[in-house]
Amino acid sequence: MSKIVILGAGISGHVAASHLRRKLSKEHEVLVVSPNSNYQWIPSNIWVGIGRMKSEKILFPLEPLYKKKNIGYKQAKAVSFYPEGDKSEQKPYVLAEYVAGTNQGQQEKITYDYLINATGPKLNFEATEGLIPGKNKTYSVCTYTHADHAWEGLNDIIQQMKAGKKAKILIGTGHAKSTCQGAAFEYILNVEKELHKHNVRDMAEITWIANEHQLGDFGMDGMLMSYGDMIMKSSELVEMIFEDRNIKWIIGAGVNKIEDGIAYYETLDGEYKVETYDFAMLIPAFSGHGFKAFDKNENDITEKLFKGFMIVDADYTPKPYEEWTVQDWPETYQNPNYKNIYAPGIAFAPPHAISKPRKSANGTDISPAPPRTGMPSGITAKLVADNIIDSIKNGKESLDHKGSLGNMGAACIASAGYGFWDGSGVSITTYPIVPDFVKYPDSHGRHLGKTFGAIGLAGHWLKLMLHYAFLYKAKMRPFWWLIPE
Amino acid sequence: MKRISPRMRFRMMNPFLQFFKFIILSIKIMVIVAGGHGGTRKVN
Repeated sequence: MSKIVILGAGISGHVAASHLRRKLSKEHEVLVVSPNSNYQWIPSNIWVGIGRMKSEKILFPLEPLYKKKNIGYKQAKAVSFYPEGDKSEQKPYVLAEYVAGTNQGQQEKITYDYLINATGPKLNFEATEGLIPGKNKTYSVCTYTHADHAWEGLNDIIQQMKAGKKAKILIGTGHAKSTCQGAAFEYILNVEKELHKHNVRDMAEITWIANEHQLGDFGMDGMLMSYGDMIMKSSELVEMIFEDRNIKWIIGAGVNKIEDGIAYYETLDGEYKVETYDFAMLIPAFSGHGFKAFDKNENDITEKLFKGFMIVDADYTPKPYEEWTVQDWPETYQNPNYKNIYAPGIAFAPPHAISKPRKSANGTDISPAPPRTGMPSGITAKLVADNIIDSIKNGKESLDHKGSLGNMGAACIASAGYGFWDGSGVSITTYPIVPDFVKYPDSHGRHLGKTFGAIGLAGHWLKLMLHYAFLYKAKMRPFWWLIPE
Repeated sequence: MKRISPRMRFRMMNPFLQFFKFIILSIKIMVIVAGGHGGTRKVN
């Protein structure tokens, strides 16, 4: 009998738990440890943030589902890792602290045979002074509660505009090293569309602010893509959309401080500037959770497990951008020091960024961190689960399932406005996620047939379909496993 | 700078045309996603 512990119940953790439970017999224990009591379909937070969807529509409680499916669940947060056990506990364990219920605040040693760290990122708002969701007129859509607050703030400013006030709206990244530009891109287009619906578009000045050196970088070094009969850069695509929507943009900007209605930022040129606003949605920097790890003698071995995020089978040798290769990226998400620990999704430490690193004239790093969205999170979680299942069934380590971001496609269906008949979406696919400049030297490292963009109503329908399909899958309804990650 | 022309906009928002686009996009995305993934390193 084996015990598999999964830390986190986001896309990655939940996918891993679902597949492990489906494919392993009942004698094996699958246990999810997560501080969140709900599963949330994060991509739909955008619609919560514009008041077009209630947050209840994008989440469901985990405990009843897990109880029904024979998956163990503890509402607790991981505190520290003991991959060798300790003097009193022979088995490896994670020290976890309950965050709710009668045993709130109590700590427990949760032992495991296999550990999947799917804790995702810490939303590091503290990295930017004054960037606090709901304060200083800044909001976030990173969680459903943040998105609820964002809608309250947006609705408030819409009412003020209806009363005749002109308003400035600022949306983008709130730190020089933020990632997830895609979410901010979706939000700015949705906000712009909503202002039209409320007949106040002419009262608002909407500005995009981002750490990208070029529009459409998205932390992926931009893309050369097929668009209908044309080949165009992602920067041209985004510029075309912003121009069409009358959205201004500030790029190469590292936001470093927020005051009430004022964003302070440094540009790649080394200038220090300010931008005022009445409503802002700024994506924070992501970071690891700051976990500590100890050996059986309680010596600190954090550096064997973590490098901010968790260390996996990547090549972490520091090297210049010109020497980066897709081979640097992990394939199995297994920790090299403790082979029964894996970190799929966002929990693994990337070997380096995807976009070319850039410094301002003052030496400040201003460039996007690598994004890791839902689709690769799901795919990497499933392959980790499959390798663990094979290892248990074969009685020896099996790593046949591999999935490097350098050999994996992704689709990003970015909502550009909500509405069944007048909505819109920007559908972008990319293959591979990490550009392979050796394999595709003439198309900026990507396969042009599989890297394409499309704008239109179909994109909205696609995003809506994915919303319902993935919630159906997450609820483990009949034949859920037929829906790919 | 490329701009969205009235003709492009009509095609983007026409439900009849977009229905077919929806089918095509769904298939293309499915091919990319379900088309598999793997490693990048040579195994000795």
